[in-house]
Amino acid sequence: MVSNRELTDLQPEPTGTRAADIRAVPVRHPGRWLGAAAVAVLMAQLVHTLLTNHRFEWGVVGQYFTTKSVLVGLLHTVELTVLAMAIGISLGVILAIMRLSQNRVLSMTSWAYIWFFRGTPLLVQLIFWYNLSALFPRLSVGVPFGPEFISGSANAFITTYVAGILGLGLNEGAYMAEIVRAGILSVDEGQVEAAYSLGLKRVQVLWRIVLPQAMKVVIPPTGNQTIGMLKSSSLVSVISVPELLFTVQIIYARTYQTIPLLIVASLWYLAVTTVLTIGQYYVERHFAKGASRQLPPSPLRKLGNDLKAIYDARRYVH
Amino acid sequence: MPDATFTEPTTIGAPSGETVCRVVDVRKRFGAQEILRGVSLEVKAGEVLCVLGPSGSGKTTMLRCINHLEKIDSGQIWVDGGLVGYREHRDRLYELHEREVARRRANIGMVFQRFNLFAHMTVLENITMAPVLVRRQKRSLAAERARQLLERVGLGDKVDAYPSQLSGGQQQRVAIARALAMEPKLLLFDEPTSALDPELVSGVLDVMKELAADGYTMIVVTHEIGFAREAADRIILMDQGVVVESGPPAQIIDNPREQRTKSFLSKVL
Ligand SMILES: Nc1ncnc2c1ncn2[C@@H]1O[C@H](COP(=O)(O)OP(=O)(O)O)[C@@H](O)[C@H]1O
Ligand SMILES: [Mg+2]
Repeated sequence: MVSNRELTDLQPEPTGTRAADIRAVPVRHPGRWLGAAAVAVLMAQLVHTLLTNHRFEWGVVGQYFTTKSVLVGLLHTVELTVLAMAIGISLGVILAIMRLSQNRVLSMTSWAYIWFFRGTPLLVQLIFWYNLSALFPRLSVGVPFGPEFISGSANAFITTYVAGILGLGLNEGAYMAEIVRAGILSVDEGQVEAAYSLGLKRVQVLWRIVLPQAMKVVIPPTGNQTIGMLKSSSLVSVISVPELLFTVQIIYARTYQTIPLLIVASLWYLAVTTVLTIGQYYVERHFAKGASRQLPPSPLRKLGNDLKAIYDARRYVH
Repeated sequence: MPDATFTEPTTIGAPSGETVCRVVDVRKRFGAQEILRGVSLEVKAGEVLCVLGPSGSGKTTMLRCINHLEKIDSGQIWVDGGLVGYREHRDRLYELHEREVARRRANIGMVFQRFNLFAHMTVLENITMAPVLVRRQKRSLAAERARQLLERVGLGDKVDAYPSQLSGGQQQRVAIARALAMEPKLLLFDEPTSALDPELVSGVLDVMKELAADGYTMIVVTHEIGFAREAADRIILMDQGVVVESGPPAQIIDNPREQRTKSFLSKVL
């Protein structure tokens, strides 16, 4: 064993001039180059097919891409996604807190909810909500087992659109509950105790300490769920909610241009997904506050760094 | 100088005004295992009590009981004239409402072995949160107080840093400032320097010595014998859930009477 003291004694005296940076020829990776070349050939072929196969009917795609009905359908899709996620996240937070409650009735109720909604197909749930009026022809708001304040026919309350949002949102709540629960459990117990010892009440600890820090764990899977929701929302086409997929289905049922119209819908789904992905990145950055010593670089910055690394590597080779 | 002689609390009931904390024959079980087996102690206003004892002897558990982070099975704990966790009415005990428990905890500052700073808040936010939320102080006033406290613990330039950007010693000093911001009647320290690199220990101990000199009432669980000798008015030695020996530093450190005190000191000195 050499002690630290001796190690520092072995250091050369500082001389004023700094030693030159290491310039070494990097290791070559021929395998990687071969792989990259094979992928490039396949990609070229794909692009070639996309451009030259006239059955894709790119002209028709362009023609329908921005028609009013498609844009309205897109708007409905985005609206459904946003509202269903809002319901799902709120419900998820409530269910997660219930699940972690000391009260057995609350935690078992939450458990049962999650069990039921994760255990049955979303499509079945949607059709169920759509047909709710068959089960309960009249709906009312009032005291349980007591007087009613408002009541009316179920069909008036549960329009297909409401059935769609409810179906998607209630189902999402079950998945979000598990995500939020994982987030809550990830928060350092010691900080919770510190907050109690300062005189904070349970609700304050939850809002100020636990949930903000749970976010770091909750957001990545929530972004994933939102993108999933964007596409699951197309399921409500089966109960005739006029969202993006339903809209293009209506059009191609009339014109038989199935493939180009499905491409129109897919391009829009991709576009929204791209926006969501970028949004998620910035939300994640926001909640990374204090978690690491430095915020991760933004994507542009990362690209810049990569280019610089390539440039530097080349310089050393010559 | 406060009275430094140990008085075994024998009477059950509210202590006199001078006593800040009185623990009477407290027992605490976890499952079948009894961790505190009849602990009694008393701390007067302005007094510093150091608690020594081997790991697992129940020191942390005792501090947590004083703060009602842990419920006791029997005995009584009085802090600042009030029973911890309960209200006595016509010879019956009533559990306190959460609101009341929180209100009393706010008067007891606690500094943890692992600092437990809020990772998502800056140093300033860590310190001002409870005064604003619990004491309803104005934000600007709380911030000004926080800056003064940070100066006092030697971290005036770290106001906007996040805990992860500070060394362990700096984090612990912020944690002390956070506790002080609530103007506590009693300060509890649970091995505040045990998680620190050796060269960072003295900075934290210096701050604690100043607090002791300023007249704060403190219970300090520590393995720093030098600190105990210098700052403590009284030292107790705990082992296996009981107080083995109690007395002024000179007695406990230099002339221990009990065999268990001797063997413990021989290991840490
Ligand atoms: N929440 C708990 N549940 C079960 N056992 C516990 C709990 N907290 C502490 N203990 C046990 O109590 C004993 C004393 O712990 P502690 O008070 O932390 O001792 P010290 O701080 O003196 O090292 C240990 O054996 C520990 O395992
Ligand atoms: Mg301990």
